[in-house]
Amino acid sequence: MWRYVTGELLVLPTRVVGLAACLGLLALPLVTRDPYVLRVVTLASILAVFAASWDLLTGFSGQINLGHALFFGVAAYTSALLNLRLGLSPWLTILAGGAMAVLVALVVGIPCLRLKGPYLSLATLAFPIMLTGLIFAFPGFFGGELGVSGLTRLAGTRLREYYLALGAMLVLVFAMWKITDSRLGIIFHAIREDEVAVRASGINTTRYKLLAFCLSGLFAGLAGGMYAHFLRIAGPALLAMFFSFQAIIWTIFGGVATIYGPVVGVFILYPVLEILRVVREIRMLGFALMVLVLLRFMPEGIVPWLEHRLEPECPRCRSRNAFTRRSCRVCGTAMGRPSSCPGRATRSA
Amino acid sequence: MRGETRLLARILVAGLMNVGVYALLAVGFSLIFGAARIINLCHTGFYMIGAYSMFLLVVSRGWPVLWAIFATLVVVAVLGIAVYKLIIDPLREHEATVLIVTLATAVLIQEVLLILFGGHFRGMPSLIPGYTTVLGVRVTYQYLLTLGVVAVASLGLWAMLQRTRLGIAIRATAQDREVANLMGMDVTRVATVTMAIGVALAGVAGIMVAPIYVLEPHMWQPPLVTILAVVVLGGLGSIKGSFVGAVILAFAEVLVVFLVPQGAFLKAALALGLMLAILLIRPEGLFGVAFEGER
Amino acid sequence: MHKVTSALLVLVMGLTAVLATGCPRRQEAVGPPPIKIGIAGPMAFLQGEHHWYGALMAQEEINAAGGVQVGDTKRLIELVKIDTNEILSPEDAATAVEKAITVDKVDFLMGGFRTEGVFPMTEVAMDHKKIFMICGSATNELLEGRVDKDYERYKYLFRVTPIRSTDLAKVCFEMLGYVGVIMRQALGLEKPKVAILAERLLWNEAMIAAAQQLIPTRLGMELVGVWRPSATATDVTAELTAIKAAGAHIIFTINSGPVGITYARQWGELEIPAVSIGINVEAQKLGFWDATQGYGNYDTTLNTYGKVRITDLTLPFYDQFVERFGECPAYTAGTYEALHILAAAIERAATLDADAVVAELEKTDKHSATGRIVFDNLHDVTWGPGYVTGIMTQWQDGELVVVWPYPGWQGLHYEGVVSYKIPPRVVQYWLGQSK
Repeated sequence: MWRYVTGELLVLPTRVVGLAACLGLLALPLVTRDPYVLRVVTLASILAVFAASWDLLTGFSGQINLGHALFFGVAAYTSALLNLRLGLSPWLTILAGGAMAVLVALVVGIPCLRLKGPYLSLATLAFPIMLTGLIFAFPGFFGGELGVSGLTRLAGTRLREYYLALGAMLVLVFAMWKITDSRLGIIFHAIREDEVAVRASGINTTRYKLLAFCLSGLFAGLAGGMYAHFLRIAGPALLAMFFSFQAIIWTIFGGVATIYGPVVGVFILYPVLEILRVVREIRMLGFALMVLVLLRFMPEGIVPWLEHRLEPECPRCRSRNAFTRRSCRVCGTAMGRPSSCPGRATRSA
Repeated sequence: MRGETRLLARILVAGLMNVGVYALLAVGFSLIFGAARIINLCHTGFYMIGAYSMFLLVVSRGWPVLWAIFATLVVVAVLGIAVYKLIIDPLREHEATVLIVTLATAVLIQEVLLILFGGHFRGMPSLIPGYTTVLGVRVTYQYLLTLGVVAVASLGLWAMLQRTRLGIAIRATAQDREVANLMGMDVTRVATVTMAIGVALAGVAGIMVAPIYVLEPHMWQPPLVTILAVVVLGGLGSIKGSFVGAVILAFAEVLVVFLVPQGAFLKAALALGLMLAILLIRPEGLFGVAFEGER
Repeated sequence: MHKVTSALLVLVMGLTAVLATGCPRRQEAVGPPPIKIGIAGPMAFLQGEHHWYGALMAQEEINAAGGVQVGDTKRLIELVKIDTNEILSPEDAATAVEKAITVDKVDFLMGGFRTEGVFPMTEVAMDHKKIFMICGSATNELLEGRVDKDYERYKYLFRVTPIRSTDLAKVCFEMLGYVGVIMRQALGLEKPKVAILAERLLWNEAMIAAAQQLIPTRLGMELVGVWRPSATATDVTAELTAIKAAGAHIIFTINSGPVGITYARQWGELEIPAVSIGINVEAQKLGFWDATQGYGNYDTTLNTYGKVRITDLTLPFYDQFVERFGECPAYTAGTYEALHILAAAIERAATLDADAVVAELEKTDKHSATGRIVFDNLHDVTWGPGYVTGIMTQWQDGELVVVWPYPGWQGLHYEGVVSYKIPPRVVQYWLGQSK
């Protein structure tokens, strides 16, 4: 165990930083219990799951989903309605929300997976907007623009909510990371790179793409249910186009096809947006400008950019090494200058 | 005149008005997609700039209308080129990143306008005031002007695409970017020029709607969704498709309003539903080119 | 690589500069600490601006008089601006309020505009047991079902402006009946035809249902149809054409969004031969005239403040507001009354303790610019003759004038009310038709 920690975990700067960040967040309430700080981290944790679930679908299987808020919103509404109308406890409603999101993923996925590239993206964009139409068409049931409010709290106190959300985030993100690391993840990856070749190898790609939709929907749905119970309201803003795009902003900013990239993206951008409150008038302007400039110079996102600089790949065995090392930690080959091409290439059009 | 004929005339007139605006926006979007292969989410941002620029120059500064139109078009085209050169072109290879930076640009435009003009709703006078009666339906001159401008702009565009070297280059790039490159065309230059033309068309749309619509810094969002639906419906990159898509969705929206007044708010949702239905039958849209073979 | 680093450096420096200049400098306070009031509203929009302006005027008046007497000490009032961004994101609104409570340490809160933002905001305020005075959202359910069902949690919630939606509806129906009488006389109609044009939102749902029931029965008019455009529709030509085809004499509007401008403008430009009355929040602003290019002439809407003597305080407040901010006060400027009411309650309670102040707020009987403000058992502002009635304003040739309560309604005589005008084109059209 200790050997694993020193031999695998602590050898790379990004892993050290990641571990320190997790421990730091877990220990944060020892330093401050300011409800505002806890609130920001709690929301960031929930939204991190949402962003990572977009990455699971789009980053890995390459199906660009522009309407990811659909899963989040459907689950939030499901949780809210079950909690309010039937009085179910948040535990049950969040799970039910996740299940409902999977169902919706099937309903959307089955017809849409015939579509390719931008057509799929723009078709997915349509669903949350159509659902918003439905919500306004049955205001008595869905609460129209006011949403469904007055839900049970996620947990009794802010501190408990904090640990619940943080814990859920760590578990769910780890689960997603494991999925992408498994055989399933490799197939998703392969579909993104060359769907025809995968089909030629005898794999039913449609079934796997549908599976990616459902898994992504499940995680987004769990996040949506938690979000509704934390804010104690589910409203049409959760289905807005901008809400879907937020997940994409965080993911691209953090680094696509990594799962942990979106988490980093949320934990940087969400607090930044909070800090920018001091410059009230130009808050969104500063935010947009920052995203624009950073992505202009780090199109791969911040995590791959850092990894590439701090952890060059060994020219022979391709394992990553801390930039301080002269020779590879695995095979002992001398490390050359870092190659100029970025470490992880995203799919080009 | 009989009741049914009048209803039909009303639907026709109201539909044609929507067609004009949607077509101008969608064709520009489609041109840019064809030449540069990017989904430009700040397209309607330029439409908004066009509208606000007219407001600023005509209402606040009191410029003559023609000068204001000319200045607006130049500003929009220059901004379009700047956005393409500075932001989009260097990131062209990263599909999802382009999506986000164009969106961030749109938000940037929105916020700048919010700071300059505030969140107030603004309006400006019609370029030609008054209305006339067509087939027993009242139509403002401004609307007729919009229709006329759309017709002229489309004809001009069509002539340009068919007759000029630049037009042929644009169409060739849209058909196959790599072969166009191999044939010695400077595809980046073609894409830049197309971007300028595309956003200028959006600017024209903005100029034409400024006296009709309410100006506010979020006015770019609703038409963005509609034109995305229009171009997908018609087939990405197809100019003809964009026109046909604009006609279909514009009339679908108007029909909803006239036949189901209680459901007028559902017109966007129904337009999108129609788009999905057509996509399920024809996955590349009505006139789409399949891009699957591209590297 | 070099380019990247330098670009990053510039960015970081830029952001730091922005943050440094934006940070409020701490002022060394002399004497007792001020009472901090958080003003929560969408500050980039007119509603939020007026939240701020109203509170600012009250603050200056109170501080000029030496502050609020809390027990033995006089304490000044300090306002904290909270941009809720609620028009775009209700979640942001809740976070902004929580930051104001825990970081800026505000003692009391007031404001709020969009109901879906006010719900989460007030939940946060209740979590922290902070008094929140709603100024800007009319939804009944913000108080009903909360203050009565769970008093211990929600007792910190009060509403000062506007009157609740069901009361707004009552005023509208009074006006509709009044205009119905005028139309019958002027046009010689037996049964005026009414078309309802209401944005598709939940807040007006109950009003539409009531209108559908009352128009044919109590008001004795004919309802020809209900049109529901989106609140942000940029074109309602189709709706207006259909309404004209239905032969409507009166368009009853219930709109809060920008569709109100689009509608009024096209209504005038297409010379639709029907009068327009009801709620059009956009028509409450002085900018409406320019935004509609004057086509909104004769549009009539429910309002809170106007050039009329509701009480002796109305005109001084109205004139001072217009002179200072170049706008007539919107209903969100009721933060002015709210702050005065709150200050008075604090003085009576002689403490900032929320429970004690709530007890005093409940006893409020305030002579104000909008009428006599008394909170009912739901902590809602009481409507009716002798209390707050609300008014109807009409645009008449570039002037926003008050046309209701007409002299004598329930024995009320507000000085400055002028008579309602039917647009000449409507009279011409219908009299020309009947010939």
